[in-house]
Amino acid sequence: MKKLQKNKKIEAPGTRFVKNLISVILITYSSLSIFLIGNTMLSSFKTKSDLINNTIGWPKSFTLENYGVVLGQEHFFRYFLNSVILVGVSLICLELVSSMVAYGLAQYEFKGRGVLQTYFLVGLMFPIQLGILPLFIMLTKAHLNNNLLGLVLIYTANLSFPVFTFSKFFKEFPSSVIESARIDGASEFQIYTKMVLPISKPVIFTVGLLNFVQLWNDFFMPLVFLTKTEVRTLTLAVYNYSANFLANWNKIFAAATIALIPVIIIYFMFSEQIVAGLTGGAVKG
Amino acid sequence: MRKRKAYIGFIAPGFVIYTLLMIIPIGCAVYYSFFNWSGIGPMEFIGLGNFKKLFTDARMSGIFFNALKNNMKYLLCVLFIVTPLQIFFAYMIYIKIRGHKYIRLMLFLPYVISTSIAGFLAILLLDPNIGVFNEILGALGGQNAKRAWLGDPDMVFKIFVCVVIWQCIGAGMMIFYANMQEISDEIVEAAVIDGAGEIKKFFYVIFPMMKSSMSTNITLSVIYALTMFDIPYILVGPQGGVNNKLDFVNMVFYRYAFGGSYFGETSIGFGSSISVTMFVIIMVFSLVTSRLMKRFGE
Repeated sequence: MKKLQKNKKIEAPGTRFVKNLISVILITYSSLSIFLIGNTMLSSFKTKSDLINNTIGWPKSFTLENYGVVLGQEHFFRYFLNSVILVGVSLICLELVSSMVAYGLAQYEFKGRGVLQTYFLVGLMFPIQLGILPLFIMLTKAHLNNNLLGLVLIYTANLSFPVFTFSKFFKEFPSSVIESARIDGASEFQIYTKMVLPISKPVIFTVGLLNFVQLWNDFFMPLVFLTKTEVRTLTLAVYNYSANFLANWNKIFAAATIALIPVIIIYFMFSEQIVAGLTGGAVKG
Repeated sequence: MRKRKAYIGFIAPGFVIYTLLMIIPIGCAVYYSFFNWSGIGPMEFIGLGNFKKLFTDARMSGIFFNALKNNMKYLLCVLFIVTPLQIFFAYMIYIKIRGHKYIRLMLFLPYVISTSIAGFLAILLLDPNIGVFNEILGALGGQNAKRAWLGDPDMVFKIFVCVVIWQCIGAGMMIFYANMQEISDEIVEAAVIDGAGEIKKFFYVIFPMMKSSMSTNITLSVIYALTMFDIPYILVGPQGGVNNKLDFVNMVFYRYAFGGSYFGETSIGFGSSISVTMFVIIMVFSLVTSRLMKRFGE
């Protein structure tokens, strides 16, 4: 590191200026997102009349009226709960099923293992949207259309990337530890739940975070499978407001804030882990 | 040997649900595409009839090829604008320009915002009546300076690309950045001692080492580009906006598969033929990308 510092002195004189210029431009540009998010949150406390003349800026007076309307009359509490249940149950199923598959593929030797490994990666290449029509027919026949459980199953089936991430971790898992537990008489499933899962906490966490963000924000699947109001998720509810922008002008800021808060909190707490979940599986391959 | 069989127990649940809800539906879509079927009633085998209609029917092929053209146009934008920008941002963070931690945190932030909120924020800026841009332009140059933005056929695609750049640049950027960090310090340091500046360092040392992230990102981008749906749908609605400038194949598919009577007809068979066409296009592009990446690798 020190060497690098020294060498900075032989930089051409213009380089530092250009670098600082780029830095200023990037800081300005990248601030746009947080500015828009912050403004949305502030605007959610504005009164309807304040909003019309004062779209961007500090509220003249804070009011909780918009939240009252959105959460009370417009069932946003229900939509929030739907999103929480859908994402929560999906994450548990996805983590469990995909980690088991990855563990089975990584720690056991059997005929056809290579083929199976490839088979589970097909989903990386072909998005689940391609089969959505037959899926729709299947779920309708099973009375799981407009049902959170139906979408939980679909999200769980979309397991290629989690399997890929878990596999990388389990391959480096020392098999001697597992072997000694076997000698101690632990059953295969006990080894998995009592030894492997606790050690895998960091991977489970990164896979969970990444999938939380993706499922919480998913738009297409709920649009197709959850068309009734009772099962509507937050992303859809926000979309329904912005599709009739002028009519819902005052409500949409509160609605968007409710949908944003969980992901924003998680992002600022764990952005490193989200990145790790995204790139951990992606770069080495 | 009990332990040898245990793998079945671990893999079976995932195998069943993955096969049933991921692989079989794609297979079914191929099967349905050969039938004339509305979803209820008898299925009539029509061979390649659906594909023929999709590619040659005067009205339908117009809609389809317009959408496909937009997908391709967007893909070109990804390869020549989005990917270079991602590499540039990643490199700026890598060489630790001032405020790089803040820049990294803020550039990746839109990744966690749902497309419906991203769309809302875009509309907030661009709405012709109460949008922020028009407020500013109106204040500066009067009524004439105001624009229709998303309603303007010449601008709507450019705006769309800007929204995509804003929302989707983070993921690829972080994949490039992670790759850059894996390049060993010794190689980079050797170049610096030899007097290479940041630009030379990038082209002679960093860029040649980015093959793995390149192939990951390009593959992901190709799939994303060919299945584009959320952002145009939210920005301009299911019809693809003014003059269908923002119509994409996946939106055509959505209209015919789930649109119901509102868009004319609902046909499982015909919808499936669009899915199958997308499937084939994705496969061809993926093969081409992996071939190209391999050739550059040698």
